Amino acid sequence: MQIQYKPKRNLLQTILHSEIMQGMAFTLKQLFAKPITRQYPQEKPEIKLGFRGQHALVRDQETGQSKCVACMRCVTVCPSRCIHIRFHEDEDKGSRVVDSYDIEALRCVYCGFCEEVCPVNALILTEIFEYAAYDRESIFFDQERLLANWDAFAAMKGVAINSYINPFWRPRGIPESVLTAAKRLDVPEEWTIEGQVVGNLVKQDQ
Amino acid sequence: MHVLILLIEILILFAIIMLHVAYATYFERKIIGHMQVRMGPMRVGWHGLLQPIADGIKSFFKEDIVPEQADVVTFRAAPIICLTAMLTSLAVLPFAKGWVLADINIGLLFIFAMSSLASYGVILAGWASNSKYTFLGGLRSMAQVISYEVAMGLSLVGVMMLSGTLNLTKIVEAQGGSFAGMYVFPQIIAFFVFFISMLAETNRVPFDLPEAETELVSGYCTEYSGMRYAIFFMAEYIGMMVMSSIGTICFLGGWNGPFEVAVFPPFWFVVKVYLFMFVFIWIRATLPRYRYDQLMSIGWKVLIPLALGNIVLTGFIKAFTG
Repeated sequence: MQIQYKPKRNLLQTILHSEIMQGMAFTLKQLFAKPITRQYPQEKPEIKLGFRGQHALVRDQETGQSKCVACMRCVTVCPSRCIHIRFHEDEDKGSRVVDSYDIEALRCVYCGFCEEVCPVNALILTEIFEYAAYDRESIFFDQERLLANWDAFAAMKGVAINSYINPFWRPRGIPESVLTAAKRLDVPEEWTIEGQVVGNLVKQDQ
Repeated sequence: MHVLILLIEILILFAIIMLHVAYATYFERKIIGHMQVRMGPMRVGWHGLLQPIADGIKSFFKEDIVPEQADVVTFRAAPIICLTAMLTSLAVLPFAKGWVLADINIGLLFIFAMSSLASYGVILAGWASNSKYTFLGGLRSMAQVISYEVAMGLSLVGVMMLSGTLNLTKIVEAQGGSFAGMYVFPQIIAFFVFFISMLAETNRVPFDLPEAETELVSGYCTEYSGMRYAIFFMAEYIGMMVMSSIGTICFLGGWNGPFEVAVFPPFWFVVKVYLFMFVFIWIRATLPRYRYDQLMSIGWKVLIPLALGNIVLTGFIKAFTG
């Protein structure tokens, strides 16, 4: 590799401090530039598509309960092991019943794998990010809290919640045939693989 | 009666300078903020205008901690020595014609004496705190102030030779009211030397080695807290103002300007002082800190020979042109 050094200063440039003057000119120019500061509590950041915030369990509009089927995929995929599910089998129907669903949000790394892997789109990382608290208990989410989180998110979204589709519910780069029925969703145009910036690995797979 | 009037004048000057010091910190934070594409203080009052007052109240009510191993008397006295020395030098500054508390004939020398005295406060603070960071800061400050005092004194000798006086009012008058009469033109070398020594003398970036945050925590004021820390801060800002005033008086023609402002005679003086302050801040926003040996070699190997050469040059020119 060829390293390009700056040409050596001549005597006149040294006396006139040409390089210092360049720096001073730059800072003076910056003085009149528009600051990039966001005055946070008054000015909220714009939340982009695919934002991963507070956890919630989607409340099913028909049953009023969680959609979770206790398949344990989220527990398995979670890299920080922050999801804990207890369930028992319903002898009559032969299906699983969730006893408890807990997320230790303080351990979560917000990778979004759980919502991608969920076959029934029961889990979501909402766009809510302001949930700091003074004790650990209030950031430990049990099933009730998770459903309440969804209600809060629904209230924030208003009517738009009926047509809301989280982009992670439809994982990118996976053919529709291998997805469960619930995950064959229309995602926004900008979330599709062509119209957005993706990592090299995704591009290679294309 | 005369003493009473003088006391009132001193009080007024003190109050005004303290207000200026408070708002100089605001000015600095705003300018540096915008130069770094931030906004600076924005919360307290409209665009953070009450920030200096909030800072003052906060530091006034903070606990005043004296380290166990410190020399208590010296530790307590050091910031006061600093502040007093700096404030005393304000007495001889002519803000406008006749606007001076003590119009003494050795004004320039007096200011030098006081600014060296202020460095005693810094050294004592560093020593009395009994901690390695403060001690190193104090040592650096001592070495720095001593070496740059020389360069600065020598750089102003040219001005003294041209004006033939040490009285600050007379120095301004000797420059006349015209633009070309300003000593910055015939004494351009002296101004260069003066400007760099001024930065070093007031411990400002790029010569802020006595309080280099990255190496020495906060240098000589590491162990100080609350009001005593604030006093060091005030002393630094008053020092900046005094040095800017000296620059204005000796090189930029003091209170003389393009036109007279009858309502407020020191108008041009204040404008020029704030111009200097802006450059101080501008440099702080731009330049990184010097290495210590480079700082010393600039002082002794460049600035002092330059200043001496300037004296000889000025002497020759004055002798030949009369």
